[in-house]
Amino acid sequence: MVDRIFAGVLLVVSLAYAVIAFTTIKAPFQYDPLGPESWPQILSLVAIACLLVILWKPDATEMGVARATWFRLGATIVMLLAYAELYEPLGFILSTILFGAALCSMLGAGMARSVTFGVAAGIAGYLLCVTLLDLNLPEGELIEWLLEPAPQSEGTS
Amino acid sequence: METVLTGLATGFSVALDPFNLFLVLAGCFAGTLIGALPGLGPINGVAILLPIAYGLGFSPESALILLAGIYYGAEYGGRISSILLNVPGDAGAVMTTLDGNPMARAGEAGRALSLSAVASFVGGTFAVILLSLFAPVLAAFAVTFSPADYVALMVFAFASLASLVGKSTVKTLLGATIGLMLATIGIDANTGVPRYTFGIPDFLAGIDFLIVVVGLFGMAELLTLVEHQVSGKLNSLPVDKSFVRLADLAKCKWAIARASVIGFFIGVLPGTGASVASAVAYGTEKRISDTEKTFGTGDPRGLVAPEAANNAAAGGAMVPMLTLGIPGSGTTAILLGALLMFNIQPGPTLFSQRPEVAWGLVASMYIGNVALLVINLPLVGLFARMLTIPQHYLTPLIAILAFIGIYTIVGNPHDLFLITLLGIFGWFLRKLDFSLAPVILGFVLGSLFENNLRRALSISGGDWGYLIADYKSVTLYVLAALIVIAPIWLARRARLMEGDNPLDQG
Repeated sequence: MVDRIFAGVLLVVSLAYAVIAFTTIKAPFQYDPLGPESWPQILSLVAIACLLVILWKPDATEMGVARATWFRLGATIVMLLAYAELYEPLGFILSTILFGAALCSMLGAGMARSVTFGVAAGIAGYLLCVTLLDLNLPEGELIEWLLEPAPQSEGTS
Repeated sequence: METVLTGLATGFSVALDPFNLFLVLAGCFAGTLIGALPGLGPINGVAILLPIAYGLGFSPESALILLAGIYYGAEYGGRISSILLNVPGDAGAVMTTLDGNPMARAGEAGRALSLSAVASFVGGTFAVILLSLFAPVLAAFAVTFSPADYVALMVFAFASLASLVGKSTVKTLLGATIGLMLATIGIDANTGVPRYTFGIPDFLAGIDFLIVVVGLFGMAELLTLVEHQVSGKLNSLPVDKSFVRLADLAKCKWAIARASVIGFFIGVLPGTGASVASAVAYGTEKRISDTEKTFGTGDPRGLVAPEAANNAAAGGAMVPMLTLGIPGSGTTAILLGALLMFNIQPGPTLFSQRPEVAWGLVASMYIGNVALLVINLPLVGLFARMLTIPQHYLTPLIAILAFIGIYTIVGNPHDLFLITLLGIFGWFLRKLDFSLAPVILGFVLGSLFENNLRRALSISGGDWGYLIADYKSVTLYVLAALIVIAPIWLARRARLMEGDNPLDQG
């Protein structure tokens, strides 16, 4: 059943892909015998053929995922999306602390340990990547303001 | 022979550069750690760390040396969780659990670990030696390939993929097609016509390879870890003081030799990597030497066969990647994509035009294998301790690393959403028994496949008969047909035999 639903969704996508391949894609001049449209046309036919076989003879019937697991997966995805959303506004350190602590505690660690992990990952990760490896990570407005005096104190020491 | 020696000389001068030497060691160490962590295999490790390695701004040969070190280091480390936890790190290490874990349970964990380290070393080194002998020859031959031959080669690659990888041929083929379809997004290089961009400027140059890799492998792996989450610590068997004995090596030498050969040649086949190699090697060894029915109860030969094979396969998979530009496994597909990001087109001319990259990589694999053996024998206790890292720290760490990698390379917060969505898609694919390696192979090979097909038909003026005009392409099509038909025929014959002798079951 699950196989059929998934294949059905993919079939709709492949049909749309095929329609675009057969109608929309056109080169103004014919440069080569195939042109830009033939390859996607071939691919769409192969994909549709495969999907029809799966629809006809599906093999996976159950997802085998318990309800609690679905909930956990859903929560993880929400956290990931939130992490992505807050990545730039809050900056790497704060968003990582929040995300690390939240996911860690959901996965069963104690509150204190989760917060410790989040703080460690956020600060150590930032220092490692930005100062040691010279990678570019978002600072976030708050951190930018906090770190401003830092270069001066470094200069004096 | 002379080209090999001068090539190796070039290679070692690159690989022995202090910085590159450091990268080999760092890659091997990190790879072993990643391989040892339960649930994280070579392909996910390379996928998650690829953007970071790229972002560090190394020269192409240095970045490739680092990534390759992670790759075979992880093949090496995969045995640790298989033996001590009975949890394979990835598909390639499944067979190692069969005899490795019983040995550890019998109080011989140290012996199992050190013996398998030696087997891995022999398999890996054997593969690198064959790689350095064969690759230049194959590359010299492949220079003569016409576009039509390349099309045939692709058909062969996808045929062997569909036939040997994954549970269902149709699903593997569909996975590869999805990869090929994803690769068509963007401006067509021949005509400048945009395809499937829907007017979104970010899509004009195509979907970024890194996003596909990190999404499909890293993020999907993370969701799988969350799904199978076990709270608390896994029970790891203790590493004791027992060690590999000469008698073990004497007993296992033929098993290691056979498995290395099998592993290398299966690794060379496009698309089939360590998982197929270790399964075939274990099966063969069991048929040859299991006279006393000791396999599966802690027979050292059952441990060394898959370990030698999967490390030999890791080396073998490099052969088609470096000489033909066609990856031999999912992980080498990612390495190939890494080369493309550095604007290096892997293929027959790689050995002559970029010897520092090709030979530097080969030489680094010699060093890496020795380094892995040296790291692994004394430090195995340290790696074993990594196994007890609770999953609730590991899982968020994967997401954090993936985000750092994508953000530092692409610098666009929208891509963070894109990798999450691709991760969900990849998780569904995995859940429904699609393997992901074909998708990434299709994605990496998409433009190469299409361009060669179009070039071939341009040469012939649109005559499709040109595709089978040459003996090379005809041979490849015949091989492709054989590799699809043979397993079906063998399975049918096995079923018939079973039907004839039902007593064989008992």
